[in-house]
Amino acid sequence: MTIGGILTILMYTLAPFIWLLMIGLTIIIGLLLLAYLRGYQITHHHSHLASLLAVLIGLTAFLWVPWLTHSTLGYVATVVDWIALIGAAIATFVIAFITLHPLSYLIRLQNEK
Amino acid sequence: MQKPPLLTRRELLKVGSSLGVGSLLPFSSLSANTLQTQAHIVILGGGAAGMAMANRLTKRLKGGTITLVEPRETHHYQPGWTMVASGVWNAAKTMRPNAQFMPRGVNWVREHAADIDADNKRITLANGETLEYDFLIVATGIQLNYHLIEGMTPELVGQHGIGSVYASIEGASRTNQAIQTWLSSGQGKGIFTAAPTPVKCAGAPLKMTFTTLSRLEASGQRDAFTVDYMAPGAGLFSQPWVDEFVKQRFDDQSVNRRHYYRLSAIDPHAKQAEFAFVGPESEFTSHHELREAEFRRDNRPTVIADYDFIHVVPPMSAHDFVKQSALIAQDGPFRGEWLDVDIHTLQHNRYPEVFGIGDVIGAPINKTAASVKAQAPVVEENLLAVMQGNALPARHMGYTSCPMITGIGKAMLVEFGYADNFAFMPSFPFIDPTEESWAVWVMKDRMLQPAYYAVLEGQA
Ligand SMILES: Cc1cc2nc3c(=O)[nH]c(=O)nc-3n(C[C@H](O)[C@H](O)[C@H](O)COP(=O)(O)OP(=O)(O)OC[C@H]3O[C@@H](n4cnc5c(N)ncnc54)[C@H](O)[C@@H]3O)c2cc1C
Repeated sequence: MTIGGILTILMYTLAPFIWLLMIGLTIIIGLLLLAYLRGYQITHHHSHLASLLAVLIGLTAFLWVPWLTHSTLGYVATVVDWIALIGAAIATFVIAFITLHPLSYLIRLQNEK
Repeated sequence: MQKPPLLTRRELLKVGSSLGVGSLLPFSSLSANTLQTQAHIVILGGGAAGMAMANRLTKRLKGGTITLVEPRETHHYQPGWTMVASGVWNAAKTMRPNAQFMPRGVNWVREHAADIDADNKRITLANGETLEYDFLIVATGIQLNYHLIEGMTPELVGQHGIGSVYASIEGASRTNQAIQTWLSSGQGKGIFTAAPTPVKCAGAPLKMTFTTLSRLEASGQRDAFTVDYMAPGAGLFSQPWVDEFVKQRFDDQSVNRRHYYRLSAIDPHAKQAEFAFVGPESEFTSHHELREAEFRRDNRPTVIADYDFIHVVPPMSAHDFVKQSALIAQDGPFRGEWLDVDIHTLQHNRYPEVFGIGDVIGAPINKTAASVKAQAPVVEENLLAVMQGNALPARHMGYTSCPMITGIGKAMLVEFGYADNFAFMPSFPFIDPTEESWAVWVMKDRMLQPAYYAVLEGQA
């Protein structure tokens, strides 16, 4: 299968969820923007709780991603399966982190006031 | 094999006077160009194959008329029926309005075709109207011949423990309910059958067995249930490696395999099925040589089996009006039952202005939507070549694919073609067709339906 063919199918797969992706993206960008405007910098702000929560949320992907696809972790068997699932877990971690990290900054700022 | 005659000078002139640059270019560059024409192209059937062709030809032709004869308002994503009958999907997920896929400019005739007069290039519709064509694409899919099983009708699906994933989307839903009722009873015997003819998605009867086994195992009472699989021939699947795999897996999962039996009659009220023993000498039943007349032979030994649930797979063929036309195969393994096309070029063997695509064609394998994806560009290129009087540039290598569901939540991406006794033709080098995989199941669950719609719209 060609790369073009794979991209076409991916576009068709994602098309029904575009609105959901847009809402999610708007929330994350809005949060990041708000935090940056108030002095947030990803490398300067440290929050162990946000990082820990993001890791935990990322790990939950090993349970809910198979469930969401009408399957179970027990059927994740091949190398491709594991790469796909670990990829999903990393993506979940990244999304959780870029949401929780600026959020923790804003909360801390709020508490300091 | 007899070669189809070339088109007449008059027919070629219809397109010849106004050829685009495309006609001068080789196959690879041609696909980017359009062809000016005044020809009338009729497509019979607007399922996976017919709709894909309507979309592709709309993009490639300028000036001609494309008529699509399709009686249904609703488009059915049939590969999803297995998921519905297995209790994984809602029925609604498999239905969309046909209007959503119908390209602009196509003349959609909402009628059944009733007759093809191939010599006079004329179609008669069920309402008596006629359509003349210059070029014809036959894409009417398959006829389900439940009537060849005595006592069986599609209306029985969902009652008396009868299931049949093929019957319709309603039939798939009722099959799920019938399986659920059987499961709730906590015990009993289930019989899964296969047909002694080619069927669409030859893996579907096996998938239904595997998903039901998953449900039986999940109930925690697997031992209280008996599962039989009745196969009309020695094989369960055309691809040899998969055939062996499924047999072994059935044995491992305590499915009693019985070979050379075909379902000949059913008594719904008594919950009894009659199987005709067609015998090992009847390798003719290995999917292609059993004709309607042979179903009528009455001196075969039969066995009667009680069941609590039975999954019925009807014998299949081209639709009667195609069978009664001159387009049907006259000899060879597909005679009297399937459209007579060259399995590589998909052009009719005797009528050069006619092409076939999808389930209706006589081919050793290929009754899948995945095959339609591979066939559609071939029909497109070859039809355009015929319209211009050129040699046929494209060949179909028999590509077909079946995500073989081996349980609810796992599957194998089985892809193969005509060559080397149906050798594997993997699309992705990193996916091993012999491995059961969650990722392949996710493809079936989430990605094949969008891919199918991309094919319908001529995008893939
Ligand atoms: C239970 C099940 C599971 C399947 N699973 C898979 C799978 O996993 N993977 C896969 O690739 N494929 C699968 N398939 C097969 C796939 O759906 C078919 O191969 C595909 O739809 C074939 O396309 P087609 O256009 O030839 O036929 P169809 O899609 O059936 O379309 C035929 C069309 O012709 C129309 N028609 C019929 N009679 C007439 C007439 N007289 N006049 C005008 N129009 C007419 C019909 O209304 C219909 O729209 C499955 C099929 C079933 C039933």
